Amino acid sequence: MSLARAARSGGPADALPASAVHAFSRRTLLAASGLALATTLAACGRTSPVSGPSDPSGPLRIGAIPDQDPEVLQRLYGIVADALSGALDLDVSYAPVTDYAAAVSLFRTGDLDLVWFGGLTGVQARLQTAGAVPIAQRDIDADFHSVFVVNAATGLTPSDDLALLAGRRFTYGSETSTSGRLMPAFFLREQGVDPDGFPGGPGFSGSHDATLALVASGTYEAGVLNEQVWTSRTAEGAVDPAVVRYARTPAYSDYHWLLGPSAVDRLGEDLPDRLTDWFTGLSADDPGDAEVLELFGAGSFIPTEAANYDQIEEIGRDLGLIN
Amino acid sequence: MTAVLAAPPLHRDRRRWAWGLGGLVVLGWSLAGAGLFSGPVLNPSGLRQFGRFAAAALSPAHDAEFLRVLAEATLVTVAYAALGAALAVVLGSLGAVAVSRTTWGRRRAGWTAVRGVLAVPRGLHEAVWGLLLVNVLGLDPWVGVLAIGIPYGAVTAKVFADLLDEVPRGGYEALLASGAGRGTAALYGLLPQAAGGLLSYSFYRLECAVRSAVVLGLIGAGGLGYQLALSFASLRWEQVWAAVYALAALCVLADVGGRAVRRRVAEPRSADGSRPARDRVLVVAGLGSLALVAWSWWFLALSPATLTSARTVDQLSYVLDAAWPPATEGDLLTAIGSAAVDTVQMSVIAIAVATAGAVLLSGVAARRPGTGPARWAAGLAVRLILLLLRAVPPPVWALVLLFVLLPGVLPGALALGVYALGVLGRLVAEASEEVDGRPRAALRASGAPPLGAWLYGVLPALGGPVLALALYRWEVAIRDTVLVGLLGAGGIGVLLSGRIAAFDWAAVTTVLAAIVLLTLAVDLVSERARAALR
Repeated sequence: MSLARAARSGGPADALPASAVHAFSRRTLLAASGLALATTLAACGRTSPVSGPSDPSGPLRIGAIPDQDPEVLQRLYGIVADALSGALDLDVSYAPVTDYAAAVSLFRTGDLDLVWFGGLTGVQARLQTAGAVPIAQRDIDADFHSVFVVNAATGLTPSDDLALLAGRRFTYGSETSTSGRLMPAFFLREQGVDPDGFPGGPGFSGSHDATLALVASGTYEAGVLNEQVWTSRTAEGAVDPAVVRYARTPAYSDYHWLLGPSAVDRLGEDLPDRLTDWFTGLSADDPGDAEVLELFGAGSFIPTEAANYDQIEEIGRDLGLIN
Repeated sequence: MTAVLAAPPLHRDRRRWAWGLGGLVVLGWSLAGAGLFSGPVLNPSGLRQFGRFAAAALSPAHDAEFLRVLAEATLVTVAYAALGAALAVVLGSLGAVAVSRTTWGRRRAGWTAVRGVLAVPRGLHEAVWGLLLVNVLGLDPWVGVLAIGIPYGAVTAKVFADLLDEVPRGGYEALLASGAGRGTAALYGLLPQAAGGLLSYSFYRLECAVRSAVVLGLIGAGGLGYQLALSFASLRWEQVWAAVYALAALCVLADVGGRAVRRRVAEPRSADGSRPARDRVLVVAGLGSLALVAWSWWFLALSPATLTSARTVDQLSYVLDAAWPPATEGDLLTAIGSAAVDTVQMSVIAIAVATAGAVLLSGVAARRPGTGPARWAAGLAVRLILLLLRAVPPPVWALVLLFVLLPGVLPGALALGVYALGVLGRLVAEASEEVDGRPRAALRASGAPPLGAWLYGVLPALGGPVLALALYRWEVAIRDTVLVGLLGAGGIGVLLSGRIAAFDWAAVTTVLAAIVLLTLAVDLVSERARAALR
């Protein structure tokens, strides 16, 4: 014991029995070597399982807002990434995101280069990221709709009169979804219904599928969701018979591909044009292209421009979703 | 635990009556706020949807591809937990020096100020940190590590400082008197005596970090919670249950391992009775944890350069610029006020439900040696159910309960209650194991039925400790309410997620300040109430 104390106060180490030195330094030694090993290995260019590589010369990273079944998104964008990669001779990787706001932030930070945004999130991302350019939209995006659904027990029959929904328990989808919240709120207000005035306040189910389930259960008497999701769930037979289609909104512009400025810096001034050309050149006659188009539920992609979303920007400001 | 279980004094205490009545009034107010006395709250037609969720528990997804994804996600969660806890211990050790009484001596003002600063990181839930960090760092593994490390670091600093302040000071003062510097004196006079407590608490933090790492996944930071969120958004209940089972297994592992190590620290074994030998189990646990931290660093490919990169600095200044000065519009403040009321009501209902449930179940859940196999099996079943209740994250409970309840404060409150019941049920069962068994045995021997013996022989002794535990859980519940709100179940969390979604950083600052104040107030009330119980 006394020898160990001598060692700690700087006594001659070689005079000590081996065990004393050993007991003192074993843990420190292992910890130090363990950490050194870890740092060395980390420096070997391993890719994190959480995020992909983000070095400046890295590949084109594409993403999408989590607006529908994430499993489908993963498959869909895996195929798009492969097709883009082959056509443009670039490495293209898909990074999934679970949150609308995170998709916008990651686009602003340059973690995501090319993102499939909804109408509102596209506007938010473009306003926050100087130099961002819309690349393309689907043919159906220029003519997009939402559907209002009601629980059969309400006894409501299909109608265009949204005012009848005013006194009902009502749920939107995700708070910042264009088709699940923003545009339905706009059309409700056009018909004189306060979009936030439902009894107990409107619900935010979080996803189109959750909206369907909550209206089916009767927890909410009415709800609204993306027409595409409604159509595909109906075709699958996945919609509970207790859910009835009530009304369809007028057309509005929605989804689009938005490209960030850092990708243009890295990959060349002509990148926006190459991307637009590739998307608009996808043809249903080509089997490979047809797969991509079918997964997007599109007949073709068409060019788009920022002015197409002016209306969304205006409504978003009114509802306090754009500052 | 033993401190909580000290025999209660027998005299009647006025303060306790005041606190008890106050508690009942608050509970009544909360239940009224939840609409319990003003119309229907149940939605029986949603039972079918609820049934689908419950039925899936028996057929969790088990295809090879999904299990592979789950395994990788589990590793990410473990790595987050290990690095988060390690960072917390490092920050805590540095912070402890800054906030201990030993450092400040009689300068109370300085000590109070530093403690006040610590309340800010402590008052925000890990998920809130995660959401804020994701906006600055993007999709980086640092988000998960820092989101656990920062709030845990603040808690750890406080606990470490208290541990250092509470050890006997003889050696420290002797060293000071013999001319040693204050640092040296603390290193040799205080640290060795506090070492056991510090080690034990570090392992406890690692256990908690596993649960927090899962929660972070729910807000998109990766790992098991992230997989759960993915399956949850598309209502694939079979996959949700598979993730829940993985989660439960991980929690049990952390729990059993952590408790074993802490017990060894508390009761060091001596080899031959003369002086305590080095405990092999502790050495293996310590080295294993260090290796785990090193592996986690490698596995997540953490790069310290990310934290100081120009991009991070840019983003941080972008957010901070936008966040100051805080928004002070009347509309926002009104909204914060009513959301804060909802939050308090939700947390009160949650704790009331959890406490009542925990006490009712404790008789069965407690391990009692020397009883028959039927009693043993019932106890095991209840403990497993409690484990599942706390393995399903509260946001999942909130949506599932929304199928059978009408919208409002209640679904979120009950979701938190069910989750808190999972935790409190175990703690109360453990407390009832430690209650003196003789009164109950005497009652049984004199012919009382089992229920009567429990009511008169166990419950009175259990009352004090249970209330203290419930009050402590209330402090946790108010933070969890924010989490449930972030995912849409009502209260101040909804407001926060809405303002973050709109990138209204000035309003975010105001809401964060309100959350910190709210948690501080609840901590204070709970602390006073517990003092009255002692």
